Amino acid sequence: MSVDAQSRIATTGPDRPFAESARLARLAAMTRGELEALQLRKLRRQLARLQRSSTYYARRIEQARIDPETVTLDAFRDAFPFSNKTDFLADQTGHPPFGQRLGIPREEVALVNMTGGTSGQGQEIYGRSQRDIHTQGYLHALPWYMAGLRPGDIAFNCVPAGGLTTGGWGPGEGLRIIGATAFHVGGTLSTDAKIDLMQRIGEVNFIYASTNYLHTLTEALLRRGLEPKRAFPTMRTLFIAAEGYPLEWAQRIQALWGCRLQEGYGSTQCAGFGASTCADGAVTDSGGRGLMHLFEWETLFEVVDPATLRPVASGEVGELVVTNLSIEGSPVIRFRTGDAARFVACRDTGFGRPWHAIECGTIGRFDDMMKIRGNNVWPSAVDAAIFAGRDIAEYVGRVYTSEEGKTEVEVRVAFADHVPADPAVRQRLLEDVRAAIKNKTNVWMTVVAVERSELPEFTYKARRWKDERQKGYRL
Amino acid sequence: MRAVQDPSDPADHDHVILARMLADAERLCGTRDALMVGQYKHLHGRIAALVEITRPTQEAGA
Repeated sequence: MSVDAQSRIATTGPDRPFAESARLARLAAMTRGELEALQLRKLRRQLARLQRSSTYYARRIEQARIDPETVTLDAFRDAFPFSNKTDFLADQTGHPPFGQRLGIPREEVALVNMTGGTSGQGQEIYGRSQRDIHTQGYLHALPWYMAGLRPGDIAFNCVPAGGLTTGGWGPGEGLRIIGATAFHVGGTLSTDAKIDLMQRIGEVNFIYASTNYLHTLTEALLRRGLEPKRAFPTMRTLFIAAEGYPLEWAQRIQALWGCRLQEGYGSTQCAGFGASTCADGAVTDSGGRGLMHLFEWETLFEVVDPATLRPVASGEVGELVVTNLSIEGSPVIRFRTGDAARFVACRDTGFGRPWHAIECGTIGRFDDMMKIRGNNVWPSAVDAAIFAGRDIAEYVGRVYTSEEGKTEVEVRVAFADHVPADPAVRQRLLEDVRAAIKNKTNVWMTVVAVERSELPEFTYKARRWKDERQKGYRL
Repeated sequence: MRAVQDPSDPADHDHVILARMLADAERLCGTRDALMVGQYKHLHGRIAALVEITRPTQEAGA
């Protein structure tokens, strides 16, 4: 990070979240044993309530042969059955619209949230109570507070607001209850119109965007000849979520904007964010990947090997399993998210807090993995290869079956504006990208250049890949 | 002008409770905890709106 950025961070009060919140400081100062005792008290209360109010969970409690009043964390993790998306969709189909896991009287549902439906399997439906609405707001306000957002700050929310998703409602509530001055520009203004508005307002302190959209916004600023840190010198926090990214990209973003990049891990199942960076950011001072600290007093996290379902060791990648400790409407209990994360035990974080953590920038999905010519290929790995440099603005990928029946992969890339039009230069860059992809995935892919306008502009989660292999199986 | 409050009237009863809650919320807003102060102000605002909504319809001398 630049000296400019470092000095700006050092002189701003919001760099000291624990000094400014006694409540957060107390949570950070607990021993691991004290934190687990708090988790257990909340878990017992949650299970006892659900035993009375949710047929779905009462059945699972019976199946686990546990008593909510006396269960231990170990016994819960050993015996309580997992749930997954398929279980929830079956529950909803049998008992529409919320299923028997709702856990509150239907007339107490004050907000309906649904998952995005990008898996293609169907959308989970969640009924939230009035209490949950505040909790969802808190689970957005908390990570943003930790990342430097303060009452009175001007915040731009680039994630589309409203609609049916948690991501549509939680940010608005979170910004409102932290006392920020929020501009909800996601989904309503074009990228250029957002930049125009930001310039008119001038003193913007905070941006919340998907990883991909922050890339798009930065790219658009540069295209207009604007250097972000000069155009918005009061920017303190760039907060991203939803997608992984190469470390080099994060470093470049920080250099361009002159402030810390911060990241959160969230989902509808977490009712907002379940983890985030703190003042330390997504990139460490030594240039490595930062850590997202798990809000374990609100959500019980497990990180398991998806094959054995046993906990992974510190430093290993596993599947996140979540249990809501405070949410009362449609809570999730031992829900398998399908999200892949590198787990770091609290003793290995170096922060001295009792909170376990997950690594920044490497959250992926176990289910978006593509098996290509015998290799496990995650889109995030290709992202890392392509965006490690500054020369590619965007790309899309397609896996298909050739007329000869072979699996082929085509990657269409658009060069960044600064790349010279010289065909020899561009050809060499394409070859470099091809080699970088091979290095990350062990798969040779065909890389071709297209105009930027031929590729989509992703406003939220990037969906860069299409698997069209089955189309080629026609006889 | 003084508001007429009849504790036996359910609407006035609500107003009295809310006015008490508003005073408590005001005290919470005095916190120096930067994570909580916005949430307390949010709560205070919601209660203040309900205090207005439930304000007695009859005023003294009306």
